[in-house]
Amino acid sequence: MRWLIRKVTRRRKGAVSIEDDTHFGDVLTIGRGADQAVFLSDLKVALNHATLTRLPSGKFQLESLSPGGVRINGMIEQRETVSIGTKIEVAQTQITLIQPPRGVDAAVELSVIEGQSAHEHVLTRAQAVSLASTKLSKRRPAWIAFIATLLFALAIPIVSHYLPGVESMTRKLHILGLSAWTSGAMAAPHQFFAEDCRSCHAKAFVSTRNEDCVACHTTTAAHADPVKFQMPILQDQACADCHKDHNGAQALIRAEQRLCTDCHVDLPTTSQGRSRLAPVTDFGDGHPQFQVTLAAWTPDGQFAPQRVPVDRPNLSEKSGLKFPHDKHLVADLNSPKGRKQLSCGSCHELEPGGAKMKAVDFETMCQECHQLNFDTSAPTRQVPHANIPEIIYMLDGFYAKRALEGGWMDTSAPAVVRSRRRPGVDPALSAAQRTEALSWARMRSSQVAQSLFEGRACITCHTVSRTVDETTGDPGWAIAPVRVAGVWYPKSQFTHRKHETMACADCHEAKTSKSSDDVLMPPIQNCRDCHAGEASKTEVATACTSCHGFHLDGQPLMSALAGGATLKSSLESFLPGAKPAQAEPSR
Amino acid sequence: MHGSFLNHGRFRYLWVALILCGASIIAYAWHNPIPRPNGGTWLGYTLGTVGVLIILWLTWYGIRKRRYSSRSGTLKGWLSAHVYLGTSLIVIALLHTGFQIGFNIHTLALVLMFMVIFSGFFGVWAYLRYPEAITQNRQNATREAMLLEITELNQQSLQLADQAGPRVHGKVSASIERTQIGGSIFRQLFPIDASSDAFLDVRKSLEDFNRRDNQLDTQNLPTMFVMVDALARQIGSKEQDALRKLVDVLSRKKALTASVSRDIQLKAMMDVWLYIHVPITFALLASLIAHVVAVFFYW
Repeated sequence: MRWLIRKVTRRRKGAVSIEDDTHFGDVLTIGRGADQAVFLSDLKVALNHATLTRLPSGKFQLESLSPGGVRINGMIEQRETVSIGTKIEVAQTQITLIQPPRGVDAAVELSVIEGQSAHEHVLTRAQAVSLASTKLSKRRPAWIAFIATLLFALAIPIVSHYLPGVESMTRKLHILGLSAWTSGAMAAPHQFFAEDCRSCHAKAFVSTRNEDCVACHTTTAAHADPVKFQMPILQDQACADCHKDHNGAQALIRAEQRLCTDCHVDLPTTSQGRSRLAPVTDFGDGHPQFQVTLAAWTPDGQFAPQRVPVDRPNLSEKSGLKFPHDKHLVADLNSPKGRKQLSCGSCHELEPGGAKMKAVDFETMCQECHQLNFDTSAPTRQVPHANIPEIIYMLDGFYAKRALEGGWMDTSAPAVVRSRRRPGVDPALSAAQRTEALSWARMRSSQVAQSLFEGRACITCHTVSRTVDETTGDPGWAIAPVRVAGVWYPKSQFTHRKHETMACADCHEAKTSKSSDDVLMPPIQNCRDCHAGEASKTEVATACTSCHGFHLDGQPLMSALAGGATLKSSLESFLPGAKPAQAEPSR
Repeated sequence: MHGSFLNHGRFRYLWVALILCGASIIAYAWHNPIPRPNGGTWLGYTLGTVGVLIILWLTWYGIRKRRYSSRSGTLKGWLSAHVYLGTSLIVIALLHTGFQIGFNIHTLALVLMFMVIFSGFFGVWAYLRYPEAITQNRQNATREAMLLEITELNQQSLQLADQAGPRVHGKVSASIERTQIGGSIFRQLFPIDASSDAFLDVRKSLEDFNRRDNQLDTQNLPTMFVMVDALARQIGSKEQDALRKLVDVLSRKKALTASVSRDIQLKAMMDVWLYIHVPITFALLASLIAHVVAVFFYW
């Protein structure tokens, strides 16, 4: 077998010299020994380093005789089947199997591995010796991170804002779109539309506008009438100044008392004299005495309730009723059904909401004892309550019927009234008899009415006065109107149900009240037994909003005021001479 | 630590950072916003602005350190300020957030900032510890010199191995071939002692050589030198001499290879954190831009 051994030597300036040698034999021996077919002088090479044998298939069997092995295509091997084109490295020499020329059975090309200085070669095949020479890089990851972050954190959300289609696509693909911008958990009532940022943030780079709030909050009232109180602090206020969302489920409605006391510490000054409300700093030690609202009328009949401090001496309520609480709360009260013990709850029942008491009802609460019967001959028959014409009509009718029927057992009554008549047997009354009977009936009805009104029934509780009918000249009676305050403290929100652990007498001194003129409302000292300002650690911490709301019933609606980011622009439309407000079309 | 970047200018920037943090903490404690502290209060905006300015200035350090002709203070001073002000960002940024953390781009910026800062802490530790370790490890030599010596020792060991016979030569040349210094990122940071393997290879070949030719049990011989002595008693004086020298040369090479590997390892440890610090810094810059734009976009 004939081998061609071609030595290629690269010289300077790219010149190449080629030296061919021929070897005869089945095996091509490679080594440092003088007897080797391929002689390599490098000390790293063993005397008999490797052999190359042609296989019947046309490939070659390379066998390393040295434990150091040989590199085949970069890998150290001991025995390997190789083919034309394979690069075999032994120390500094590269042996490449090449296509044999005509007349030769096999050919190898020898060349020196270049490009490595002496010490680099120690590092065996260009090992990286610093991180900089590995694949590690700073610049490329920096750019990738920068651009990727900008894309997902900025570009996609901005595009989503302007193109809702993109936003719904990000949602479908579960890519963080606008939701990546959410700065915190939404308030619980806003969560159902939280996905749509534009419902509150309609315009880019514009803070949430009042009109976006009142689009839903149509019935929310303002704090004060901006026409009366032209104060910048009211006018320039945006809803979002107090109601800051994205601060958790419960953070939207604020109770901090300083939000109120900022102004109310000296309202006459802060309102420039427009409000005369007393200074408030803290419920515990800086709150004026409670004021009850008492019904009152101006001389010309206009209803003008009075606000009176509850601790004013000789405070009395002119309700038109006579009701001594003390008499009703005694033990073993005598009643038609026997001895009874009344309690507050016998007459004062909570409304279903639990805040206020139901109005006292005569029929269900009083009438059991205070019966309105009027004639012993019909002890179960009672006149209706609170309807004077009906009472008169009922009495007239009752006695007229009895007079015409006859059989009235009363010696003072005329004979025609007393005599018993059998229907269908006795003849009908003559006109004179009827006149006499009805005359008696009218007289009797009038006596009974007077007794009811002035003697034993109405006058027990009511102030009764006599009147004369202007057209007929008939005498009559008038009951003074009943004006019990429904809500004594209308400026505060008090809930009885929250105070059910208390006894009624803890706040209302009813047991010793001899007159319904007494105002049985507790003063502030009573509340302060348990309640103090919001900073209190020893009592019930009570902020202003525990009793008072900011948005007050009866004030103009926020929706009518909201125009822009502040109330100012809308206020201007309220001022005299201003153009009517142009409501922006809502989305 | 004399003259380190940490005590530069008598801890000038440590004091700057402490005052900055102290002022922020006092302001945060005093400030009592409604509904709660967050980035949207006046203090929140102030701390956020301070934080962004510091971050931009810290990023500028990457440019400043390449400006060798710059006269804006010493680079050591800049590094000192970089470290201390960067650390103060932990306090400033946390107070800026009002400790409101969520799954959003705002918290992303915070997390990225922490990654940059804590990778920087590793850098500080590496810069304090490794330069001295590198100097100690090199023992007044350079890496180049050590590599050159290894090359020479390789040549010597091959010559000696040649005298000791073809089997020894094979083993030695294989060990030279397989000596690994440096390599992949992982191999640089956690090098294997390749020359130790080579050393064991040679010893094993010597044992084989010995067992086959002399039937001497060398398994229980305690040290290389005893083994060589034992071998030397039984082989020719030329080979005995070569083997003795070969062991000397190989152990010296082993020590040198370990030193070079350690040198590469220490240098890699000093560098590796920057491959996190720098790219994450750019992610942080992008997330900051997004954060600021988003905040004012949905004001």
